[in-house]
Amino acid sequence: MMKTVLGVLSVGLAAALGATAAAQTPVRGGSLTYTYHPEPTAMSTVSTTAVPVALVATKIYDSLLEWEGAEMKPVPGLAASWTRSDDGRTWTFKLRDGVKWHDGQPFTSADVKFSVENIAKAYHSRGRAHFGDVEAVETPDKSTVVFRLKAPVPYFIKAFQPTETPMLPVHKFAGVDLASAAAVRQAEVITRAPVGTGPFKLKEWQRGSHIILERNPDYWREGRPYLDQIILRVLPDGAARAIAFEKGEVDLAPQSALPEAELQRLGKLPGVVTSSAGTEALGPNLWLEVNLREPPLSDVRVRRAISMALDRSRIIDVIWYGYGKPGIGPIVSSDPNFFNKALKPYAYDPKKAGELLDEAGYKRGSDGVRFRITQNVLPYGENWTRLGEYVKQELSKLGIAVDTRSADLAGWLKTVYTDYNFHITSTFQHNYSDPTIGIERSYHSANIRPGAAFQNSMGYKNARVDQLFDLSKRELDPAKRKAQFDELQQIIHDEQPVIYLLEMQYVHLFHKRVHGLISNGISMYSNWANVWKEK
Amino acid sequence: MTSRLSYVALRALQVIPAVLAIAVLNFILLHMAPGDAADVIAGLSGHASAEMTAELRRSFGLDQPLIVQFFVYIGRLLTLDLGISLIQSRPVVELIAERMGATLILMLTAIGVAVGIGLLLGILAALRHRSWTDTALSVLALVVYATPQFWLGLMLIVFFSITLDIFPSGGMRTIGAEFGPIHSVLDVARHLVLPAGTLGLFYVALYTRLMRTSMLDIMTLDYITTARAKGMSELRIAFTHAARNALLPIVTLLGVQVGHLLGGSILVETVFGWPGLGRLVLDALLQRDLVLLLGILFISSVVVVLTNLLVDVIYGLLDPRLARK
Repeated sequence: MMKTVLGVLSVGLAAALGATAAAQTPVRGGSLTYTYHPEPTAMSTVSTTAVPVALVATKIYDSLLEWEGAEMKPVPGLAASWTRSDDGRTWTFKLRDGVKWHDGQPFTSADVKFSVENIAKAYHSRGRAHFGDVEAVETPDKSTVVFRLKAPVPYFIKAFQPTETPMLPVHKFAGVDLASAAAVRQAEVITRAPVGTGPFKLKEWQRGSHIILERNPDYWREGRPYLDQIILRVLPDGAARAIAFEKGEVDLAPQSALPEAELQRLGKLPGVVTSSAGTEALGPNLWLEVNLREPPLSDVRVRRAISMALDRSRIIDVIWYGYGKPGIGPIVSSDPNFFNKALKPYAYDPKKAGELLDEAGYKRGSDGVRFRITQNVLPYGENWTRLGEYVKQELSKLGIAVDTRSADLAGWLKTVYTDYNFHITSTFQHNYSDPTIGIERSYHSANIRPGAAFQNSMGYKNARVDQLFDLSKRELDPAKRKAQFDELQQIIHDEQPVIYLLEMQYVHLFHKRVHGLISNGISMYSNWANVWKEK
Repeated sequence: MTSRLSYVALRALQVIPAVLAIAVLNFILLHMAPGDAADVIAGLSGHASAEMTAELRRSFGLDQPLIVQFFVYIGRLLTLDLGISLIQSRPVVELIAERMGATLILMLTAIGVAVGIGLLLGILAALRHRSWTDTALSVLALVVYATPQFWLGLMLIVFFSITLDIFPSGGMRTIGAEFGPIHSVLDVARHLVLPAGTLGLFYVALYTRLMRTSMLDIMTLDYITTARAKGMSELRIAFTHAARNALLPIVTLLGVQVGHLLGGSILVETVFGWPGLGRLVLDALLQRDLVLLLGILFISSVVVVLTNLLVDVIYGLLDPRLARK
């Protein structure tokens, strides 16, 4: 009797805890099928870190380290251990013995040096941010790599995430002109025949249809990966993706791969898990970018007024189907390490907004209009178009007439980031796991550079903010560094160089039979060696 | 015979300037929009510095004056080199070749079945002119013709794939299955039913309507009246005397629709995840991958122009007077 009760209890517990309880007995074998659109354009994040590429490439190409928890604690991976000198300028990594590339060649320190110096630093979009201060990479023996830096870089270790610095095989780059971006991008291991050290290797890529990754039998970690295969099904239509998920043909729809309207419905089905965990180190932050060169937007009172005139909870509920939290400042509130908890979102208060504009000298004209501005809309689909409509509607009530302009992605990028030909535009950016990498680009005045996409297009200049960024970039004491970021967030929150609207929420939908997916702040970009599926 | 040959030769010669003119026009139109692939790559990477964007632009040759880019493009075309995709970094010819087969299978099946059924229904409607059969067929054709394809596709998926569970909801093959040759063909056929059905229904409607009208016109001509006076049966008149002439507008339409072969099924390919060219065109357009886009447009213009040549030849066969003119 006792046994039965215990049995029932444990079944109940397993059902209640889902992943946690069952995770104790992983099962080997099976295929995990996920869907995402668009299809990847390459097999390595050196080409682009766009989501579809990052999802697949990170199973094939590992970086030196692996990461635990939302706080992103580094743990050994290809590097078995590492040390940092006291002055923070020398980092020594000891590589794991016996690791092989998918083609059987040994993985050595020469590969690490090559991947950092020749590829990541030169061609990865964040390569210069991570490795700009690297003076020399030394390889005293086959399993030791020493990085010598010009100055301490507190976030240096974060560079060794799979999307940021994938390890690439130097022997596959023979004959590639390393001085040419196009030639490197066209290398076969980047475009279509990847050779990594990761738990999975490419078996088949039927373009427009699917990608099959299969278990790497020579993976260095004993008994991993659990899965035999990972399959990507390319389904361009959102409704078709939802149907495939509903039918069970697809196990996982990662990172908002399904339209929000479908997420709500499918999330209620039995045996389906909806989760936003495991994206803490991405931190997508949505805002209205403001061109501060243009009066009256150069007046902080006007920006505050606009900020108060927009109802964040309405934007979340009506446009984003309830997914997201009100936008606060440059660092999203889900960041466990750096968010300044003293900050609150601007409250919706159209009356006060009107008073602020009156005070700033922008009174309503006889037609009720205070001034006119243009609005560009990020061309990423329906939600963004509706956000544009909402902003226009709400600001017109305030007496600000808005002309909305639309373009395709190339046109939008050029207008905003090269020509600076805009007043306000919707956009979003990722915080990533460190503010120097994630947010400095938008607010440091050194990043006011035409042609630099998703950087300081606003023309925002604040000497103290610049100084705080410069200090935090070198500060090795975590507490001091946090204080610097707190102050910086406060200033930016007050000045509203952009109008923070929404901390976006990536939603993963998966069937309960899948376990071990949520492991750290970049869970979908982890190598899934520990993911397993019930038979 | 000689006159027919020279008719074909003359038509063939006209292909060259047509294709060149299309290539030039494509180039100019696509380069009129602001922004380029370097912007898109830099943008998608989320972090590219101004230097990195400039370096990308330089290595793609996008920093060159437009006129230089134009001559590079034409020079490559003359050697039948379609270049390397800016976004995917792979030869355009390879990318097109990978997708061409799927599109051909889908379109040829859909059009083939649709023409067959459409012609028969069209003739039937014309023979039963003003009967309830005619009315029913015309109304049905109009309804199907007016139904949005993506909606029809989704409804077919809901009914046949979710409710009845007899056809897969999308894709072209069972992923990961290792079948022998016969099973492979059957597998593709099973995946083909719903997308080809969605696309085919549209064309059935189109051809039914066209064939009906065309037949009705022909059936009032003097030579048909003569045939009737000779005592021929209506069926024989319809199939041996009228249908051949009524086919002329159908052939014209077929020629035009081959243009759709390479991109016209975007909606159906999207809904069913069919790995054809349609999606490749759309993705190339959205990512401003001009090299890929120009390559696809070039190939499709060649196909269209050649098909029209073929249509002209078939015209000559159907109506020998045209070749003699």
